[in-house]
Amino acid sequence: MIRVDISKCTGCKKCESVCAFFRTGRVNHHLSRMKVLNIYELGIDGPVVCIQCKERFCDCCPENAISMGSLGQVIVSPTLCTLCGACETVCPIGAIEIFNDIVYVCDLCGGRPKCVKACTEGAIQYVTETSTHASLVDFAKKTRKMNPDQKRYFYLKNLGLEVRKKWRKEYA
Amino acid sequence: MLRYGYGRRILRIDLTKRVFRTEDLDPSWIRPAIGGRAANTKRLFEELSPDCDPLGPDNILIFGIGPLTGSLLPASAYYTVTAKSPLTGVLGDSAAGGQFAAEMKLTGFDQIIITGRADNLLYLMVKESGVEFVDCPEYRGKKIIETTEAIRRERKDYSLQVAAIGPAGENLVHFAAIVSSGNRVNGRTGMGAVMGSKNLKALAVRGTLSVEVADPLSFLSEAEKIEKNILNHKEYKKRYQMGTTMLMQDLNNIGILPTKHFQEGVCKYVDDISGQRMARTYKIKNKACFNCNLHCSRYYIVDQVEAEGPEFETLCSFTSRLGNNNLPFALEMNAYLNQMGLDSISTSEVIGWIIECQEKGMIKPDELDGLSITWGETDKIREVVDMIAFRRGIGDKMAEGAKRFSESFVEAAQKLVMQVKGLDMICGDPRGIKAYGLTYAIAARGADHLRAEPYFELTNRKEEAKKRFGTEKAADRLAEEGKASLVAYSEKIALLTDSLTMCKNIGLCMDILNFENASSLLKAGTGIDYSPEYLEKILGNLIDLEHRLNQKFGVRKEDCTLPERFRKEPLKEGPTKGSTVDIQRMVNEYYKIHNWEE
Repeated sequence: MIRVDISKCTGCKKCESVCAFFRTGRVNHHLSRMKVLNIYELGIDGPVVCIQCKERFCDCCPENAISMGSLGQVIVSPTLCTLCGACETVCPIGAIEIFNDIVYVCDLCGGRPKCVKACTEGAIQYVTETSTHASLVDFAKKTRKMNPDQKRYFYLKNLGLEVRKKWRKEYA
Repeated sequence: MLRYGYGRRILRIDLTKRVFRTEDLDPSWIRPAIGGRAANTKRLFEELSPDCDPLGPDNILIFGIGPLTGSLLPASAYYTVTAKSPLTGVLGDSAAGGQFAAEMKLTGFDQIIITGRADNLLYLMVKESGVEFVDCPEYRGKKIIETTEAIRRERKDYSLQVAAIGPAGENLVHFAAIVSSGNRVNGRTGMGAVMGSKNLKALAVRGTLSVEVADPLSFLSEAEKIEKNILNHKEYKKRYQMGTTMLMQDLNNIGILPTKHFQEGVCKYVDDISGQRMARTYKIKNKACFNCNLHCSRYYIVDQVEAEGPEFETLCSFTSRLGNNNLPFALEMNAYLNQMGLDSISTSEVIGWIIECQEKGMIKPDELDGLSITWGETDKIREVVDMIAFRRGIGDKMAEGAKRFSESFVEAAQKLVMQVKGLDMICGDPRGIKAYGLTYAIAARGADHLRAEPYFELTNRKEEAKKRFGTEKAADRLAEEGKASLVAYSEKIALLTDSLTMCKNIGLCMDILNFENASSLLKAGTGIDYSPEYLEKILGNLIDLEHRLNQKFGVRKEDCTLPERFRKEPLKEGPTKGSTVDIQRMVNEYYKIHNWEE
């Protein structure tokens, strides 16, 4: 899975641009499967991407269009998907989203994720061991009524507050 | 036909009537203007009535981007804001990086042209479908990040980008800035005041379109070359570590670090205020503009203050230029100025000028409502900045800018304002960098290095200098010879960089952009055949156009000069000791190259 260290992220969005370009042939960072947010009030930047959570909320697809690949990645079947939006609604961190009739979620580029290479800061890593999966139950409760963008912001803000505690301890 | 690169539409907004309309971008109009700064200037030239009040509804405020903005080309995320400047009364423009330009690109508008004046404070929400006029009286007095986050919260959309003004812009401080991405500042020439005069608190953009290039494979390979040139550049590490603040030490080493308002060129306590110390002690992480490889910006924490930056100009403006050796104070000021929306250079000039005049006994405290201030008095500097931002007391007059403020004092004092054409001088003593001196003198927007950024002068490449400019002296920072040709070349590359909306650090200082690779990039990007020769020709024409626009504003050749200090008083100490600038000679040569009479 993709592991992000937001303390290293500079907010350049190169990962987004590269992801969008290699997966859609278009230059539009909103077509990326990972979304970088800049939280100006906290000085925090970071990509939000599927973390392969313990609960696998998105695996509730009424059409059975969603399955988990051998790398733990989310695979959406374009033939079965009816764009009902269930996965988008349940994902607690906005990592899966429908845009212009396409479901956008990280599928690890089949094991060689482009974003990892694009990041020159070492903020994005690809890890293959799959023993630890974070739980998103807490986030699920808190972000229930939010849109994917708000969910991502809420999630990143929470991670950011942790990082900032460390900053404050070390630098202030 | 325009098919690639450009968004192909321009957006016109009339704030008085609260209406907008979109127009197709005319291919024959844009081709000889490329985009970005050049296209903005052309628009202003054609549409602005030159005698309009800069703070009246007739002034035209243009946000412009270029054909390659937000593409996969690294460091191509600048946007330029252009209008008639309230500070100088001549051409005003200012560029900034960050995330705003890339988002504006996805709305499909190459230019956003704003006229009129709203009856209430409002912000504009621009999407590809059009504009929403949103009243926001409750935002009055809000600082930049507060405004940005408030708009994002209100719209429930954290991907939109905001360019806003702070209290200084609302209060029409003549050197108020527009700030986007939290800390990215369109600082110079008071574009924030123009925005404030239109009652426009913020411009928010959010797009969903894609950037399409004509020949993706060639474009990518050209972009990759630029990427490699950045990563393999010999200054890469230094710039990554310190950004432009590396210049504190570099300029001090050659004796041109403005100290005590340009009275000295060597700062004894430079180690306390250097980029190195900043990076070592206060930097937490790097920050970057959209899609850039250099990541030269920094985020810092010092006590309760935190912000992105500072760049060299701000750091120098609030340390050595004001005789201050307290680095945390300068970092605090950087955060404060950014959030208030003030230009750090012009703010520092007002204060530095007052301090020098008081030191010399030219201005008495009772002429300044009892204000008595000297070098490095941080508490008072903080207070004066606040007075300017809110136009409190004597700050109300200071907010008109150093030049206009000085006019109510004795002539000897007026001569000490470090300005050209009304724009306050940047940090870099021209006595030790002559090509920069010429650039300050001839720059269309006033004392400004970015018009040409002849960084070549400092790179000591003698053979290259002979090849490119006909004399080895072009690489000798103290010589006046060959500098007119160097500036005439650099200003074209500078304009090219601004028109492709690339970053000057990369395009010019790192010497990465030239007519050849720009031609390939433009061709692959837009599908239009821009040959290097054609590029050079149109850039020459565009510089002419800028010159003619300024003539309409009343600028004459005699305005292209430097303050008396740089022409007559040599520096007393350091590696630039004894040098003055023979500016007339260089300006004459420069005018000759351009075939300008006036």
